[in-house]
Amino acid sequence: MAAVSTRRLQKELADIKNHGTPTGITLLKADDFETWYLTLEVLGESLYKGEVFALKFRFEPGYPISSPAVQFVVDDKFRAPLHPHVYSNGHICASILGTEWSPVLSVISVCITLQSMLASCKDKKRPPDNDRYVAHAPENPKKTQFVYHDDEV
Amino acid sequence: MSESDLPPQPPRLKSADLPDIEGTDHDFENSVGPDHNTGVAPPGWVITEPTDISTLPPSSLFDLTQPVMDESAFFEEDTQRPLISLLEPMTVLRTEYENGNQVFVKQIDWLIDRGWVGIRRTRGDGDCFYRSLAYAYISSLLPQSSRSQPQQQQDDTSIINVTKAISYLESTSALLESVGFQKLVFEDFLDLFVGVLKGLISPSAGEGGRVRAKLVEEFNVAEVSNSIVMYLRLLTSAEIRSNPDNYEPFLFHPETGEQMNTRDFCEGFVEACGKEADHVQITALTKALKVDIKVAYLDGRIRSPSSSSPSSHLADVDFVEFVNDEGIEAGDKGKGKAVDGEGIILLYRPGHYDILERRLED
Repeated sequence: MAAVSTRRLQKELADIKNHGTPTGITLLKADDFETWYLTLEVLGESLYKGEVFALKFRFEPGYPISSPAVQFVVDDKFRAPLHPHVYSNGHICASILGTEWSPVLSVISVCITLQSMLASCKDKKRPPDNDRYVAHAPENPKKTQFVYHDDEV
Repeated sequence: MSESDLPPQPPRLKSADLPDIEGTDHDFENSVGPDHNTGVAPPGWVITEPTDISTLPPSSLFDLTQPVMDESAFFEEDTQRPLISLLEPMTVLRTEYENGNQVFVKQIDWLIDRGWVGIRRTRGDGDCFYRSLAYAYISSLLPQSSRSQPQQQQDDTSIINVTKAISYLESTSALLESVGFQKLVFEDFLDLFVGVLKGLISPSAGEGGRVRAKLVEEFNVAEVSNSIVMYLRLLTSAEIRSNPDNYEPFLFHPETGEQMNTRDFCEGFVEACGKEADHVQITALTKALKVDIKVAYLDGRIRSPSSSSPSSHLADVDFVEFVNDEGIEAGDKGKGKAVDGEGIILLYRPGHYDILERRLED
């Protein structure tokens, strides 16, 4: 029997293929059960109108009991959104990706949460400690223990 | 700022109808010999990249790259203790307290005197209540010992009990769906849970002793064990979510003590991995599983002397009962009642749950 992570991701993938993705979210690449890419945009009126972002999900064998490592892609094509909880290296400070992760969340529900995090943003700016964090950040955002300042933003 | 410099405190059990342990804080923690709460001492923090940031003051360090020391990730690395251990004599636990708090020693003696001679430990990873309950629940479906019953009769009893449990567990998936959990998020956990149960009664399972040994083995396969834990978490959450009127008055943030709504509580403190169970979760889960459990509170507190107990050097241990068919207040009823029957009995020490047994070893 395949590992739980593979079985679960197969189901998530089948669900996406059968039912499609929510508006503003598209599956970019899911060739294996280790790394997936999705695009994210905020439709309707928001500070991010017209901007398209990419999210990278990395799954450990313990997924979905262990959280996926999720970050915005920063490369020649994509930038991290300017947001008080998103560092310029793409790392995201969101409790659901850390201490409040639960296996009831899925790739798509994480995307929806991040989409609404952007949609409700009132002030496009970097986290105050962006430069310090980015200078020393580990490659994998799961290695950082973020202090979740404000769940409302 | 200074608050964030402190190492994380072990979770505390806070509940109106349980013995208050807040008052004994310092004494208590300093006097306990081994760190029984978590298995290992909480680290302050460990700098993962010392050369880069060692010149910064602690306050900046904290804002920067920190070690992974949130509960779940921290405990995942606590591999010193098996997820579920083999049965050990209580005297082993006793020796760990001999140089520490003597009330614990006396309470352990009290338990031993009453036949609670064995302890099966679980890893201190925030899942200990769920894992202890899962193991004890499954184990309670099997015959207690070889005693007088012939083997065939024992096998038949197991098959009936286990089959009932499987069909009940499978029926709970409807409850999970009714509160909005997608099938895909829980069906693998349920499959593994049911798979373990089926294994107990398969023709190749062997006789009683071997079945139990196999159960311990399976509970030490992280994927299996954690899947069962996760299913129980979702079942707990589904019970709370489907009866908000029963539970909402008792939903408090474990750190701030603020009243919480059902959804936030369930998402943050039931469904999330590694979050300790408190009285509300225990009540909900035992109700959803339809099991009665007793929790022995080994809390290091001296009770007022009782005339019924001539041996005044013994400290009593409270057994709190969670009875599934009497609703949410049931926990109050059995307080202090003498315990004689078998069943699911957990041993609580502040911040941690293990399993209490009347047998010395597996």
